Amino acid sequence: MSAERGNVKILVFTCRWCGLIGADGAGRKRIELPASYRVIQVDCAGYVEPDAVIRALASGATGVAVLGCHVGGCRFNDANHPALKRLELLKTLLDTTGIGGRRLLLGFGTAHESHQYAEMIVDFHRELEGMPSMASWLPQGE
Amino acid sequence: MLDQVKQKAKEILEKKEADGVLGLRKGLFDVIHPHVFTVPSELDALVLEPKWLFAKMARAILREKPQAWRLAVIVRGCDERAIVELVKRNQIDRERLLTLGYACDMDQAKACLCSRPFPQKLDAGAAVEGVDPLADERVKAYLEGDAGKRMEMWAAQLKRCIKCYGCRNSCPICVCVPCKLEDDVWVERGVIPAEMISFQIIRAFHLSDTCVACGACQEACPVGIPLMTLQLSMREALKKDYNYEAGLDANRKSPVLFDFAKEPRPGQAVPDWVDSMGKKP
Repeated sequence: MSAERGNVKILVFTCRWCGLIGADGAGRKRIELPASYRVIQVDCAGYVEPDAVIRALASGATGVAVLGCHVGGCRFNDANHPALKRLELLKTLLDTTGIGGRRLLLGFGTAHESHQYAEMIVDFHRELEGMPSMASWLPQGE
Repeated sequence: MLDQVKQKAKEILEKKEADGVLGLRKGLFDVIHPHVFTVPSELDALVLEPKWLFAKMARAILREKPQAWRLAVIVRGCDERAIVELVKRNQIDRERLLTLGYACDMDQAKACLCSRPFPQKLDAGAAVEGVDPLADERVKAYLEGDAGKRMEMWAAQLKRCIKCYGCRNSCPICVCVPCKLEDDVWVERGVIPAEMISFQIIRAFHLSDTCVACGACQEACPVGIPLMTLQLSMREALKKDYNYEAGLDANRKSPVLFDFAKEPRPGQAVPDWVDSMGKKP
């Protein structure tokens, strides 16, 4: 079984109030980041339904990250609690099937934590590189 | 047990507690089919086997009938739990529905790997001890062990899917209209075998906090994919983290979408200055 090395694609769903500003900050500080990730801005991490994460994995993403505000510090009060609870449950399911809950990263930070953002993405990238390939789960080429 | 159930059903009809009793009937040529009994004398043809889930059927019947019409349903443990879940989702009006519960025997419980083979409101038969599904060898192979090996195992199983939607249709709780599994945005239509991650994982996850472990999906699957096994780990996680089990209490909503302040997930690091999660009810 081949590893995902060199084939890593990360899709990042990030809340625009905290995570996205953190990502911006990481860019402004010229922190070197892997080129393997793309960011989708959402209004709140609570918007990210687990189905969207599943769909991303099905469409060829190696890993998905969902970033929100600190738990309890969410702009919409409790909105990131359901995000956390649902996605933790999804991790259980991914672990069961062997796809691996580690393909889903949950991160909670604030707008000025750009260094943490960078660290999270770099670590996640490195972790995904070592994961087994998902080829057997994806539709075989065109 | 059958006589007991017949007796109770007759009483219900005679006392006019309900206008109809939904159960299985042995009809012409010994064909067994679901039937709404409305006359007490009809009840002689009532049978209990094979296992048949009436929750969705009861919902459809109640929707068709006028508001004052009441239905009694002959249920097993799993069926009752499914009805509770439907009541939670406002699909069934509990005021209009009576249940007449009977316990499954040991053989049935073993065949279904059922941990709770009896309804909470038991009218006939004696409750037997359930079987722990996670202790079963076949289940263990799919839930434990090396992740890479399991990945191949599940892929090999799910690849056989012919996308008949039997798992969805037979599930007593799948009632959404429109269904995401029929939407091109989520699952590409007309592709066989179904896209494994989209179709299977989305279906499984939608039932994560709802699954009552009745095993209807697994029984309906024409190619024999162990679909119920897929749900077991999530049911276990909910039980462990929130002490929640689907279908037991109609007043307790899914902890995944409710009770944010009351139930932090154990092991989740919460900063000290945050009080919204630490608050005690």
